[in-house]
Amino acid sequence: MTLNILFGFSAVVCLIGLIIRLSIWFSQGMSPPAAPAAPVGTRMTEALKAVVGSFFSAKIFLIIKSVFVDLLFQKRIFDKSVLRWIAHTLIFSGFILLLLMHALHSVVTEPLFKDYQSTLNPYLFLRNLFGLMVILGVVIAIFRRITLKPQRLKTYASDWTALIFLLVIILSGMLLEGSKMASQSTFQRMVEDVSLSDEEEVKALEAFWVQENGLAPTNFQTAPPAEIVAKGKEINGDYCMDCHASNKAAFASFTLAKISPIFFAVFGDALTVKLLWYLHILACLAFLAWLPFSKMFHILAAPVSLLIKGVTGDQIREPANILTRQMIGLSACTHCGSCSLECSSNMFFETFQNDFILPSEKVQYLKKIAAGKETDPAVLKQMQQGLYVCTSCDRCTTVCPSGINLKELFVSSRYTLLKEGMPETTMLSHFSFPLALAQNFVDDHLQALKKVTDIFIKSFQHLADTSSPITLGTSKGFGNTTFRGCFSCQRCTNICPVVRSYDDPVEALGMLPHQIMFSLGIGNTELAMGSQMIWSCSTCYLCQEHCPNQVELTDIFYSLKNSALKKVETGVHS
Amino acid sequence: MKYAFFQGCNIPIRIQQYATSTTAVLAKFGIELEVVPTFNCCGYPARNVDEKAYILPSVRNLAIAEKRGQDILVICNCCFASLQKAKNVMSKNAQLMEELNSILAKEDLHYSGKAEVKHYLTVLYQEVGTEKIKAQRVNAFTDLNIAVIQGCHVLRPREITHFDDSFVPRITEELIGTTGVKSLDWQGKLECCGAALAGINNDLSHRLLREKITGAQAAGAEYITPICSYCHLQFDTTQQNIRNGAAGEKLLPVLLFPQLLGLCLGIDEKALGIASNSTIATEDINRIKSLLGPPTEEKKKKKAKVAA
Ligand code: SF4
Ligand code: SF4
Ligand code: SF4
Ligand code: SF4
Repeated sequence: MTLNILFGFSAVVCLIGLIIRLSIWFSQGMSPPAAPAAPVGTRMTEALKAVVGSFFSAKIFLIIKSVFVDLLFQKRIFDKSVLRWIAHTLIFSGFILLLLMHALHSVVTEPLFKDYQSTLNPYLFLRNLFGLMVILGVVIAIFRRITLKPQRLKTYASDWTALIFLLVIILSGMLLEGSKMASQSTFQRMVEDVSLSDEEEVKALEAFWVQENGLAPTNFQTAPPAEIVAKGKEINGDYCMDCHASNKAAFASFTLAKISPIFFAVFGDALTVKLLWYLHILACLAFLAWLPFSKMFHILAAPVSLLIKGVTGDQIREPANILTRQMIGLSACTHCGSCSLECSSNMFFETFQNDFILPSEKVQYLKKIAAGKETDPAVLKQMQQGLYVCTSCDRCTTVCPSGINLKELFVSSRYTLLKEGMPETTMLSHFSFPLALAQNFVDDHLQALKKVTDIFIKSFQHLADTSSPITLGTSKGFGNTTFRGCFSCQRCTNICPVVRSYDDPVEALGMLPHQIMFSLGIGNTELAMGSQMIWSCSTCYLCQEHCPNQVELTDIFYSLKNSALKKVETGVHS
Repeated sequence: MKYAFFQGCNIPIRIQQYATSTTAVLAKFGIELEVVPTFNCCGYPARNVDEKAYILPSVRNLAIAEKRGQDILVICNCCFASLQKAKNVMSKNAQLMEELNSILAKEDLHYSGKAEVKHYLTVLYQEVGTEKIKAQRVNAFTDLNIAVIQGCHVLRPREITHFDDSFVPRITEELIGTTGVKSLDWQGKLECCGAALAGINNDLSHRLLREKITGAQAAGAEYITPICSYCHLQFDTTQQNIRNGAAGEKLLPVLLFPQLLGLCLGIDEKALGIASNSTIATEDINRIKSLLGPPTEEKKKKKAKVAA
């Protein structure tokens, strides 16, 4: 009775969770201003259309292929790491098989196999085999999380929770089975069930079970004599074997049975069995209720995401479906960290110390941002930087075992966050090169760029507005001191392809290369940092190569850009 | 000879044909390129932002090569310059080296400077040599005029890149010469394609690119051969973006050097990925192939050599 109530409760919680998670698929998303979100209704009908359309077309073959290759075989994991594939396959198949054969035995196994008995082989053996598979998989997963930590694999409490949940479910099940093997009360109940009443026969059977089936030797001080055991074996054959195979087949539980007497000494055997039963059942039910709210939701979302990838090849045209695809992707993330391990920007994480540079961490927080739950400007600013410090190498999208289209997600998020109005100074770097190539949201990019430029204009002194003569600066210790050798021959300026590009270069660039060297010479670094020239320099190194005095102009420009950005950033934060 | 192949971020996803054609060409000379999946970005994109963020990734990549006991072969100029710059900075700044090594130690890596960085052109020029290349050709071009654009970061600053004479570079010219192609003298050859300004100042970036396209065409170039992967993307992708479908404006198609050389070595055009250059049309490919013929002039030389 209580069990039914508990089961009903967790099933309802699970159902509500599923409904919430599914509704998020159609209601949230990262939509830049240039691509506003479609209403929920449209998104649902468009998704339905796409699904139906795929089933009733040649795409059905892609679906079938994807089911075998991506869902069942998990090829994407296999291609990247055999160890991870082994871990995942062990957990995945072990767990699913246990679920079908053991947890759902009344719905699945019994109707399929007429002679099903949980205490008969192969079921007795298989339960242990499947359980052991899960345990092995979890152990490998834990090992991986620990050993890859230096490789920037982040592990949250939620990741440990998932692994521990699995361990508790399997181990409690095995302990339960083991304690039943060892328990006198359980043995007595079985004896009653088979209506064995002759005391001597019971004693002999008990001797056999102590010897062979893991029963605790409560009533035997010393090992039972061989002839009694032999007699017990006969009785076992007559009374038990039809519905109870040797407990040794349940090899894991049989081993664990040996430690049961420790618990029996404290709780008594009947209570121990009962407590372990509760532990096992409650762990399973709690897992069920927790599933939709955790990364375990990937059990449902990842197959959907993989199928979408298999069918569309990440080419989705319908804007409403793009958003839905994003949200399915976000919910399919298992926080496995594969993307971050392979991210070509992961070394930037070491210097910027911004978790959001790692794609796996971006994904975790984008869920919150898409839900509108993350509004702290400091966090959003971090995220924005994380989205920009990315070489657009697409490795993350290529490796993600859940088939998430991280590339699209990051492009959309980048421009959605810019809409918040926060200037992103990293835009002024070569990370912008692939973005310019791809020509996504060009106007949004230009607007955001303008915002950053305006900040620079405000932050530094400019040659154009110095009505009074240029002052001597006070800045000391500017790293590269080669500018001291400059004698203003202007060769740098004359050879510069950028200067040559403008009719009125001083107006467009603020200062010319030789003038920048001059302003450094008189210690006015501020003026140099404020000139548009440093941002318009194409870094061609012609000036540096041609300077008769080995002034390292281009390198100096890089330093000026670095310092100017730092200055502006600290200004933005304060 | 085996090298750790450093492809950077752009080539594997945007210019695969550069990697496949280079691999195919070098294989002809017994040089093997091993792809190293643990290599990450060279650091170049962060250079405007933070010098240390720029150096660290290259130091890590060098440490990975060092651990494998290999030298690095690079095809992207900017990756090449970053790796060379990192080596240079490390050799001058022991304190920074120690600091960066402490970061690398977490991954069980250590930089000591053993791994060398080589541009694929250097390897072709020095390890193989133009004579050997010529001897292996089955074909050569006649009447094909191309404009080479060297890319800035392989040439300059010369004391960092150690590639070639930065004012009168010869390596690329001589290598191109082996294919029978005429490499034109034109103004933009040693100048900037504008890539470094893309996304930061698009107008200026496009202006620099246009200047190169018209310059090369005015000099009579039928094709452009960019050495750097950034130049490649400027000519092969941005060129199309900025054309805006303007009628009458002739595209300047891209042909990579290993593609040209590969054709002469008898490598299949598919293996060289020529059609993957997005500016090249089927007629272009057909035309190039029609200009291929037996390397006559060289055969004479060979005979002369035997006679001598
Ligand atoms: S995005 Fe994909 S690869 Fe990255 S952590 Fe999530 S599931 Fe793993
Ligand atoms: S695309 Fe960006 S986030 Fe993804 S792996 Fe490359 S650098 Fe990392
Ligand atoms: S070329 Fe050198 S010496 Fe001449 S103005 Fe420029 S920096 Fe000064
Ligand atoms: S490096 Fe910059 S300043 Fe120097 S010549 Fe080139 S574009 Fe001009």
